[in-house]
Amino acid sequence: MSEAAADERTGGLRPRAQVSVLRIALWSGFVIAIVFSAFISSGLGAFKTPYESIVKLWLSPFFPDLASGIDDTVRYIVLHVRLARICLAFLVGCALALAGTVYQGVLLNPLADPFTLGISTGAAFGASIAILLGFGSLHFFGVSALPAAAFAGALLALYLVYLLGSQEGRIQIVTVVLAGIIVSTFLSAMISLIKSLNEESVSTIVFWIMGSLSGKSWAHVMLILPYIIVGGAAICCFTRELDLLGLGDIQAQQLGVNVSRVRFWMLLAASLVTASAVAVSGIIGFVGLVIPHLARLAIGPRHRLLIPAAALCGGLLVLVSDSIARTILPGGEEIPVGVVTAIIGGPFFCFLLLRRKKQLHLQ
Amino acid sequence: MNMVFLPNRLVAILFVLWLTLAGASVCRAQSLEITDDLGRKISIDRHAERIIPLYGAFAETLFSIGAADRVIARTQADRYPAQIERLPSVGTHMKPNIELILGLKPDLVIMSSSRRDETPEISRLLDSGIPVAIFSPKTFEEIFSVTERLGILCGTREKALELNESLRKRLDAVKAKLDGVEKKQTVFFEIRSEPLTGAGRGSIVDEIISAAGGENVLTKEKGIVKYSVEALLFDNPDAYVVQEGPMNKSPLDPAKRSHFDRLKCVREGRVIKADELVFSRPGPRCIEAVETLAAALYPEFFRK
Repeated sequence: MSEAAADERTGGLRPRAQVSVLRIALWSGFVIAIVFSAFISSGLGAFKTPYESIVKLWLSPFFPDLASGIDDTVRYIVLHVRLARICLAFLVGCALALAGTVYQGVLLNPLADPFTLGISTGAAFGASIAILLGFGSLHFFGVSALPAAAFAGALLALYLVYLLGSQEGRIQIVTVVLAGIIVSTFLSAMISLIKSLNEESVSTIVFWIMGSLSGKSWAHVMLILPYIIVGGAAICCFTRELDLLGLGDIQAQQLGVNVSRVRFWMLLAASLVTASAVAVSGIIGFVGLVIPHLARLAIGPRHRLLIPAAALCGGLLVLVSDSIARTILPGGEEIPVGVVTAIIGGPFFCFLLLRRKKQLHLQ
Repeated sequence: MNMVFLPNRLVAILFVLWLTLAGASVCRAQSLEITDDLGRKISIDRHAERIIPLYGAFAETLFSIGAADRVIARTQADRYPAQIERLPSVGTHMKPNIELILGLKPDLVIMSSSRRDETPEISRLLDSGIPVAIFSPKTFEEIFSVTERLGILCGTREKALELNESLRKRLDAVKAKLDGVEKKQTVFFEIRSEPLTGAGRGSIVDEIISAAGGENVLTKEKGIVKYSVEALLFDNPDAYVVQEGPMNKSPLDPAKRSHFDRLKCVREGRVIKADELVFSRPGPRCIEAVETLAAALYPEFFRK
């Protein structure tokens, strides 16, 4: 990856002014695309709502009079069902892409993703146990026990991986990846065991594992927002150290980075962000693995820009995917969002990769 | 015309003799034959004596047509009627254990094709010479027909027809009571709470809802439909039925779920709990489900 970084730096020599204009255009483009998608998405659903009333509803928190002529159910559906879900999709996408970028940077492994350390399997394990034991009837604040169980499972997996992958409190990157794989495999086997013991619940477990944002509310958004804000802020404070880690441990150490401490805290922050996202959404694959690469192709390897870019990109991808997942089938039927992220993200990534390769050849 | 001159006693003796011979020939030469729901002909030489029903609904049917003593095994989930729990289990209805089944030497195996049409299990059993009948009843008429065909195979056709007759009468009674209903109640039937899954039109549940005077809010022709909360809010059904059972283990009370407090039926307390084993199994107890649901939907018509 450090080679790729070097390529980027030498290849990206452009006049400074042009670069900053491009950058501003790029960032505002991102934000506009996200707001626009959210707007379009909030008008899509099982029943048709004219965009005129969507505009009014969007503005209604600021100007309450605007929403007066709109049916109460429509208002509730747009503001509390669709927008909550859109926000949650965006946040989950942000979280996964953010965590993926950090994992790839810290573990120096282009194949790392938020689930490398077994967090997804841990969460799925927690959720499966809750489903098996029928904890679905427990709840607090309108949120069922499933997210809590998933979060607990994710933390358990993380702790196991840390125990296996650290030596005298220092994380060894190869060992920790191996530990992640081992814990993940073991927990997968346990999930299969639970599934075969409990055939009638297979569908619930499978659907949970494939990821879904169906029926989520603002309560879920509030549940994960603190993790994402705190985790994201922590990660943003360490962008310089993340860049230096890419040079290798010894170089980074010589440049004044406390390698083992940075590594520990970054992995912990990214893992908590992932765990919170997985707890509410189930396992949405692809985003955390590919979005960081996509952002790196578009914006370069420096984490100060890469991290926000990846987060926004990931948010956008999940937002769009979830909108498709909930509207593509008629009559209120849904498909898993993880399927859509892979279907629309995969070909797009291939396209970028091929084009980029050709450009590299030409230069 | 000679018969006219024969003494009455001789006529009677000849008649009895003829009946006996005819009866014996039916038992020996003429085999029992039915066509199952996959269109396959099942013929057995004599009444089935050792039957393994691989789906609870069929076990219930067999028990209620007087063939209880011929059922020799059950599947894991079967709990009704209570005496079935004494029988050995041969796996689950989705994954029956062939070894256990063969070991019990059944002369008839009954499967449900609700999940898949052809399974390796079927061909294994057929290879071993065990007749396998496959049924997939989705309406009351189909349940009655399955009951009758099981009656033929067990030699208890009379009892099967009697059962059907009494079930039909009970259905008619419900219908008669609902005569004065002006507006049909719309109903959402929850099969699973996570992910939210409702019963569509192509299922026995839909038939139960209609017979109970309700109208299913789902219009899909599929039996099991994953549904979005948004569409549910828009449908705003008059009553919400939550099924409880293996498929929906201790579901969260709808009143406590996010968004569900907006539903008219949840706010008015019109949430009806339903036993999955009664409501989703196409057996004789479906009629009981109709009676329960109708009474819950239209209490004013059932109070008398």
